[in-house]
Order: sequence, then C-alpha cells, then structure tokens
Amino acid sequence: MNCEDYKQAIAADPSFDGGAAHLSECAACQAYRKDILSLDNRISAALNLSVPELVMPELPDLEVENVVALRPKKRNTTTWLAIAATVVIAATVGFRMLSTDIHYESLEAEIIAHLDHEPASLVVTSKRVSDKRLSAVVPADMSTMGHTAGLVTYARTCEINGKAVPHLVIQGERGPVTILLMPDEKIDAAADLSGEHIDGVLLPVGNGSIAIIGERGERIDAISNTVRNSVMWDT
Amino acid sequence: MNSSTEATARRRRFDQLVGVFHADMYRYAAWLSRDRAIAEDVVQEALLRAWKSLDALRDDAAAKPWLLTIVRRENARHFERKRLETVDIDDLSASQEALLAEQPDRELDEMREAIFELGDDYREPLVLQVMMGYSTTEIAELMGLKQGAVLTRLHRARHKLRETVEDR
Repeated sequence: MNCEDYKQAIAADPSFDGGAAHLSECAACQAYRKDILSLDNRISAALNLSVPELVMPELPDLEVENVVALRPKKRNTTTWLAIAATVVIAATVGFRMLSTDIHYESLEAEIIAHLDHEPASLVVTSKRVSDKRLSAVVPADMSTMGHTAGLVTYARTCEINGKAVPHLVIQGERGPVTILLMPDEKIDAAADLSGEHIDGVLLPVGNGSIAIIGERGERIDAISNTVRNSVMWDT
Repeated sequence: MNSSTEATARRRRFDQLVGVFHADMYRYAAWLSRDRAIAEDVVQEALLRAWKSLDALRDDAAAKPWLLTIVRRENARHFERKRLETVDIDDLSASQEALLAEQPDRELDEMREAIFELGDDYREPLVLQVMMGYSTTEIAELMGLKQGAVLTRLHRARHKLRETVEDR
C-alpha cells in the first residue's frame, strides 16, 4: 500500500485499520490519519443536532384502520347463486385456514397488506437491479419482463396466496410503483385498488393477473399498459 | 393472548423502539431535508407508517435500519423529486436557518454550514457513517449503490469539508 491508497482508504472510512505496515513507517500518513480523525470528531459534533421533544402522532387502531377500502364489485346475482357463492367462499376460507397462518378476505386485501411488509422496496432511486437478478426473480418459463416496463429498482420473490411470485418495483412519476406478477391467480375482471395513500389496479392477464400499485396520483393506467405489454405468460 | 393484550404489547413495543431511535430518525431527516420543520413532518409520517407496518419487523435488532429506511422514503415522498440540489446559504428560510443556529460555537457553525452545503449524494452517506455508525456496506445497501461508489463519495465529502472549513 502506498500513501495515496492509504489516504483514500482512511478518508473514506476513518475506521480503516489496514495498511498498518505502511502507516508505521510513513510520518505523512500518520499525520493525515490524525487530521482525518480530528475532522471526523468535528463532523460528528456538528451533525449532533438538538432534537425536539417526541410528539407521537395519533396512531390509528389497526384492527379498524388496516382494512383497506376496496371498491365493491357490481354483481347481479340471484338468491340461489348468492347461496352457492357463500358455500364456495366458506370452503375456500376453510381450506386457507388449514393451509396458511394468515388469512385475508380476498386476493386484493393480501396484496395491499403485502405492500407494507417490505418498506425497503419502496425507495426512490435510480439504481436499477441487474439483469441477472431480474432474470432470477422472473424466470423465463413464467414470463418475460425486462426494464422495458420501466426502471426496475427492486426484484424479489415473495409469497402471495401461498405461491411464490415476482415482486418488482419500478420508478413512477410520483415514486416507486409495485408490480406483482401472479401467473396462477386468475381473476374474472380488473379490480381497482384504492387506499388512503395509494392508487392501483389488479388486472387479469391470461390465466393469471398482475397487480400494479403506486402512490396516490400515480399514472397507473399508463404504467399498466406498458407492463401488460411487456408480460407474456407462458402458462 | 387476547386482542386487547396484543394491542397493548404492540403499542409498548412501538413506544420502546421509538424511544430509542427517535433522535436518530429526527437527525437523519433533518440532514436529509436540511430543514427542521420538514424533518419534524417527515418523522411524524414515518412514525405513522412504521406503526402500521410494525408487524413486518420481525427482529427488533434490525429496527434502526428499518426506521431509517422509512424516514428516507418519507423524505423522498415529501420532496417528490422536486428538491433543489443546492441551497444558497445566504437565502435560507427560518427553519433552514434554525438547523444551523444550534450553538454559539464558531468552529461548529462553520462545519455545520459546510455539511449543509454538501450535495445530497455526499451528505447522506457521511451522515449515515459518522452519525449512524453504518458500515460502507450498509450504506451501499440503503442507498442502492455499489460499495466503491460509497467509498468515493465519502472520500470526496471529507475532502470537500476540509477544503471548505480551511477556506473560512
């Protein structure tokens, strides 16, 4: 290690403890290190702002507030169809109670609940995920989706309705936009997702569906068209 | 455990975490936004969001980066990408000036002004490293950068601070 390497390392991270051999023989670097440590003490003192007294915001009762408002679907059913539907729902709920720990009243509710599970995904950034990462999360035999849909800044495999699905985030005009690709979640019609701070849509695509959720006021329609065109289910 | 007991335990857990990390949240927000009033708003929003998603935090040992990530996001949401990168030190709002008018200490004032004038890209990793104790790996993860880029920014930040303070 030479002087330049050492100075760069210590200025980037004053806790750097490499280059001991060089340091022990170089008076200039010893002085530089001392200077940087002194500078950091001053930086630390300057950053240490006084903090106002904590005022806790009014925290909502989650048992009530966590129920996300979803627009009810218009259905024209006869009484016997309603009874039949009730039986089907009861059977579905019963099956879910046996197979999972957490129960949601609908696919939409589970998607909405999933949003708050990964705050790290919702960071405003221009850093795209690598093609390798993206292709690992979105396997070719499930669908093809690249950065054509937008700048993909997050890609992870998550679980929705007991199935592993790609969870992607692209950068929209108003912030991060979450996209869940669910090739096995067939739905009859598109459903609008709405919440206090979000706009979104659940779209039927072939035998599956795609959820797209952004900040309130995000241009979901435009993103939906782009995403839908960039996804090709192989199933 | 019944729902009332669960709610009480949840609230106690939240209060404990906030009690420990509120100062970090505020200072991080203040140095991100460079504005005390905005920082208080950002922290309020972050606390609300953290409360709603507290169950997603499985390990309290990870609470600090979890909370700071929420603060970072709320700050970004607040500015909605409209923030100016540079701020004229002679043309500050009252709450911006309040950030600099901390203590009657000339050396500290000069350093605080120098940090204030750093670009976001340099100021944020510096705050995370010096004040939050983050490693460069952790900073890279939070900011979505490569570690090499973080090291470069930190090196340049300190270099710029040295120059600025020496010139004054």
